[in-house]
Amino acid sequence: MQRTRAILVDITKCVGCRSCEQACKESHGFPKDTEYKLSPTALTVIEDHGDKFVRRMCMHCQDPACASACLVGALKKSVLGPVTYEASKCIGCRYCLVACPFNVPRYEWSKLAPFVKKCDMCAERQANGGLPACVEACPTGASISGWRDDLLDEAERRILGGGYVKHIYGSEEGGGTSVFFISDVPFEKLGFVTPPTQPLPVLTANALGDVPTVVMVGGALLSGLYWITQRREKVLLAEAQEKTANK
Amino acid sequence: MLRIGFPKFTLWRTIVAAIFAAGLYATYARFFLGFSEATNLSDPQPWGLWVGLGTLCGVGLSAGGFAIAAAVYLLGFERYRPVVRVAVLVSFLGYLSVIAGMMYELGLPWRIWHPIVMWNRHSVLFEVSWCVMLYTTVLALEFSPLLVEKIPWVGVRSWYLRWQHEILIGVVLIGVVLSSLHQSFLGGLYLITKGKLDPLWYSPYLTTMFYLSAIPAGLAVTVMALYLCVRSLNARIDLGILAEVSRVIAPLLALYAIFRAVDLSTRNALPYLFRWREETFCFWLEIGLLIVAPLILLSMEKVRNNPQYLYWTCSLVVAGFMANRLNVSITGLQASAGIYYVPKWTEFASSLMVLTMVILAFRYAVIYLDVVPKNTPQRRWMTQGAAAEA
Repeated sequence: MQRTRAILVDITKCVGCRSCEQACKESHGFPKDTEYKLSPTALTVIEDHGDKFVRRMCMHCQDPACASACLVGALKKSVLGPVTYEASKCIGCRYCLVACPFNVPRYEWSKLAPFVKKCDMCAERQANGGLPACVEACPTGASISGWRDDLLDEAERRILGGGYVKHIYGSEEGGGTSVFFISDVPFEKLGFVTPPTQPLPVLTANALGDVPTVVMVGGALLSGLYWITQRREKVLLAEAQEKTANK
Repeated sequence: MLRIGFPKFTLWRTIVAAIFAAGLYATYARFFLGFSEATNLSDPQPWGLWVGLGTLCGVGLSAGGFAIAAAVYLLGFERYRPVVRVAVLVSFLGYLSVIAGMMYELGLPWRIWHPIVMWNRHSVLFEVSWCVMLYTTVLALEFSPLLVEKIPWVGVRSWYLRWQHEILIGVVLIGVVLSSLHQSFLGGLYLITKGKLDPLWYSPYLTTMFYLSAIPAGLAVTVMALYLCVRSLNARIDLGILAEVSRVIAPLLALYAIFRAVDLSTRNALPYLFRWREETFCFWLEIGLLIVAPLILLSMEKVRNNPQYLYWTCSLVVAGFMANRLNVSITGLQASAGIYYVPKWTEFASSLMVLTMVILAFRYAVIYLDVVPKNTPQRRWMTQGAAAEA
């Protein structure tokens, strides 16, 4: 199987310097003002939770709800791992915002031609062998990037070393993601949501799988009923004609 | 006598004018100032009134057309034939209003054609958009004879009507299948919100429940439209037909109620029914309007035999249906969104304007086309103009 890229964030190592935010803004050409919540011009932010700093960004799910929801296929899970957005396809329905279990995608509400904005894990840089801008900028090594399976091993190694909550956030959330968090404080206390552990697209795939059945069975049933209806009419007509003929 | 001059002010004309003035400003705000000026939508609440009311209610309440067409053309219930044209007209206008609403709702409405060429067959919304496109075409075909009949050239007219008659059964059949699919998939849109949508509404059977509730609600709209035709538009229909249509609504609502109850109990959601939350209140409002009140009223002989009572009972069904769709699309998602969304007045104004256009179009269609048999025309409406009494 093709190996995919991922990011591991070690919350114990983050000092809240916001270098990742600034690097992200710089690589996207956004205004440099510090923002405290995800926005169309802040695709990753550091949230303060007491003395802990939590980085928020797209989780790059293995089976992304947004990509399955997008009716024109603008959002896609790329072969390399990042979930990417093709703005030229988007019609602005915003179903991806509804579908995302982590509430990540942002919409340019104040623009007249608004698009969806979210982190793409610097897919282009990574395809050329580079690192995501945020990872490159991190001075403490709180965010590292690498192959997904390697990073899972690394996270496990650190947890086994002690001092961490025994859970890799992202290993099963939303059916598994490509961005992982490890922490010494329970994740609920740091504002992490707890989405279902199954991949959400499965839920809609089941329903969509019924389409051929509905079409075939429904069509056949209705045709059958129509056949009975017109047959009954014919019989009635013939009986009436017979009656008049006998008279 | 031909009267030219400034039209008279009447109460209804004033109201319609006010709605259009507000609606036109809202339209200006949406397209020239953007979402942030025209709506209270935000990232945690990306879908609001335009989806909840315009799309979910618009499509759901237009379900009468396929239900009545199936009953008459496929199942041979001849007693409903007098109402086919009304039902199809209401549905056709309903779907046109949904498409008009889409222009407001989509961020990039000029790309509305994208799903035709850009496919994602894993998307429920893709399925819905195709079904709506195709079914609107079906409705246009079903509706077309009403316009073609008015063509003065006999050759064209009879050629088209004969051709339309040939394909009609097939068209109706395709329409029923398409409707069944997208009526249920509108509920299917919310299957992916597991963990976000409140347990009072989230169910793996959202598809079935949207389907089961759309049919009685669509029929209720048909009853209301028929009643208004007779009351205000001089239609000559036997009002007994209202009772005939309503007779089906009660068992359909009962079926929906049973399904809803079984679903809630098997999902262990019953404790939520009595928690002191805003969601609980909205839930009971919905159940009261959509199920309890109509079922009690329709069980009474006095209501069933009185067109006016039936009209008001059906309006309860419609209100309850709207409560349900708004609960799924707005109320049920508030807690997980962590914000409190109240639509901006411009969202109401544009929706109201589209609805008013539907009602006006319905009125003029009934007046000028052969939707229902009419009493000998009285010129009263031409001179005095009971404007948008419908």
